[in-house]
Amino acid sequence: MNNSEKETLLSIKNLEITFGSGKSEFVAVQDVNFDIHKGEIFSLVGESGSGKTTIGRAILGINPTSNGQIIFDGKQINGKISKKEKYEIERKIQMIFQDPSASLNERATVDYIISEGLYNYNLAKDEDERVAKVQEMLENVGLLPEQLYRYPHEFSGGQRQRIGIARALIMNPKLVVADEPISALDMSIRAQILNLLKKFRKEQGVTFLFIAHDLSVVRYISDRIAVIRAGRILELAETEELFNHPIHPYTKSLLSAIPIPDPLIAKQRKNFVYDPNMHDYSTEGPTFKEILPGHFVYCNEDEAEKYKAELQ
Amino acid sequence: MQAREMISIAQQEEFKQTEIYEMNSVVERDNISADDFAVVTIDKEENEKIGTTKYSYWGSVAKNFFLSKVTIFMLVLIVIILLMSFIQPLFSGYDLSNVSKINDFGARYNFPNAKYWFGTDANGNSLFDAIWAGARTSISIGVIASLIIEGIGVIVGAIWGVSKKFDRVMLEIYNVISNVPSLLIIIVLSYAFGNGFWNLIFAMTCTSWIGTAYFMRVQVMIMRDREYNVASRTLGTSTKRIVLKNILPYLTSVIVTDVSLTLPSFISYEVFLSFLGVGLSQNVPSLGRLISQYSPYMTSYPYLFWLPVLVLALITISLYIIGQRLSDASDPKTHM
Repeated sequence: MNNSEKETLLSIKNLEITFGSGKSEFVAVQDVNFDIHKGEIFSLVGESGSGKTTIGRAILGINPTSNGQIIFDGKQINGKISKKEKYEIERKIQMIFQDPSASLNERATVDYIISEGLYNYNLAKDEDERVAKVQEMLENVGLLPEQLYRYPHEFSGGQRQRIGIARALIMNPKLVVADEPISALDMSIRAQILNLLKKFRKEQGVTFLFIAHDLSVVRYISDRIAVIRAGRILELAETEELFNHPIHPYTKSLLSAIPIPDPLIAKQRKNFVYDPNMHDYSTEGPTFKEILPGHFVYCNEDEAEKYKAELQ
Repeated sequence: MQAREMISIAQQEEFKQTEIYEMNSVVERDNISADDFAVVTIDKEENEKIGTTKYSYWGSVAKNFFLSKVTIFMLVLIVIILLMSFIQPLFSGYDLSNVSKINDFGARYNFPNAKYWFGTDANGNSLFDAIWAGARTSISIGVIASLIIEGIGVIVGAIWGVSKKFDRVMLEIYNVISNVPSLLIIIVLSYAFGNGFWNLIFAMTCTSWIGTAYFMRVQVMIMRDREYNVASRTLGTSTKRIVLKNILPYLTSVIVTDVSLTLPSFISYEVFLSFLGVGLSQNVPSLGRLISQYSPYMTSYPYLFWLPVLVLALITISLYIIGQRLSDASDPKTHM
């Protein structure tokens, strides 16, 4: 896979997101650069509080950005945009939420929840078409048509998350931000949800920005991965490349912490602890550099030389 | 006694025998063959099915509401009181200013008896007629005033909770109004507009709706930034639709609770105002007027004072308990 062959759907440039102002100002995300290609599953991994969700929400326009650009389909979508443009973009970018019980309206039937977007954008010509669309979507996510008039609290966690997926994907979005869609779910149904996302990618060509902290899940689902820590992206590469040749020490420590379901091997393994003070950035500040084709690392010149030397 | 023991012993014997029989029927491991097993296919559809019956919000509210016997009793009581106070005055033709029997000493100060169920007063008027005519006025004032207050309060509060511009203006108005004692406002308004049924309702609701509106504003603000509303916004839902479809349905039980508190409080407020001599015109009977008029008889003819008080207490308590039960029942957390 070469970057130049792929069409870029979403491009983030020097993104900075700040919360609060004055003394209580807090920079949650800074210097974030990445492109998402059409039809791929791009993952953002990092510990909690690293700003993964903040970036996802900024793309949807829920969190305002303080600097930088978010370019979707060739148009800037952050900052000041007209209401009409925002309305258009909102349909094309959808979100799957982390907690399926908090993100569904408990007082509305599944029928209304899934149709909500259709009503807002008049995507169905008449009542019959709307019902047909909803039924089809319901079938796509593996729910039964007779469950249309039930309420969210009657469903299990996995079923609820599928309702959440259905309402996002019925809009025919180009990009779906999946914000830890499986972390609130039972182990036994996680694979079901992941496979569902993969199915939609294959059948409808939906592009996903997958936000997670579970590396084994990320390896299973994504094409490219960006590792984020404290609001900065430290390393970005294709999935297998990242897992086979992690360059940044933080990525190495993350990979060394993946649980191994074999106590004998797990005992022998040495955990690598990352210390953010190990970098010497006094002479030269770090930037996002391409060490190998398609493999970016956040480092300065000296470190880049060192990493390149290590690889050979 | 013996026969029963015999039966139970026989049953025990039988039980033991079936147990032994089952023990013997366990197949030896070596004797198990592939024929003993059948392939069962997984029915994915069956997996998705929900076993419970279809849920309906108001159905569950009703079911929950009627679970309590006390509530049913209170409901029956309030229905009787309502029927009495809205139908009985039509036949009794009670007139507060009618003093035709004032010289008929036989009709005055009758203790409750078969003819005058609640006795008679100094004018020879039946207290039974007076109480129902008075209860009709009091209940009407309570119901109309709380409907007005809740109506305005919910609409204004819903807009107040989501609009920042409106919030800024309304907060200032709220600060001014809520710092003036409402009793003062009501008394001033009653004197300005004169006494009367509708004037009293106007005076009572004129400013107090802002309290309900503020309460609703806070409730709307709590719900406003919940995850499911963020989700609706990403689907392109307008603020108006979010308020109507996402927020207000959640606030049903809160609104019901608020109504259940304001309704009895307006009835007692009217009583209090009439007791002070503010509000209703001289010829309109109300529970408050009866209580204030008969309070000198508290020791000489106690029934004249205590019976209106009792009816007032029954109305407010039953309304309060029904309201509380309804608000509990309308909270879906109590639904199965």
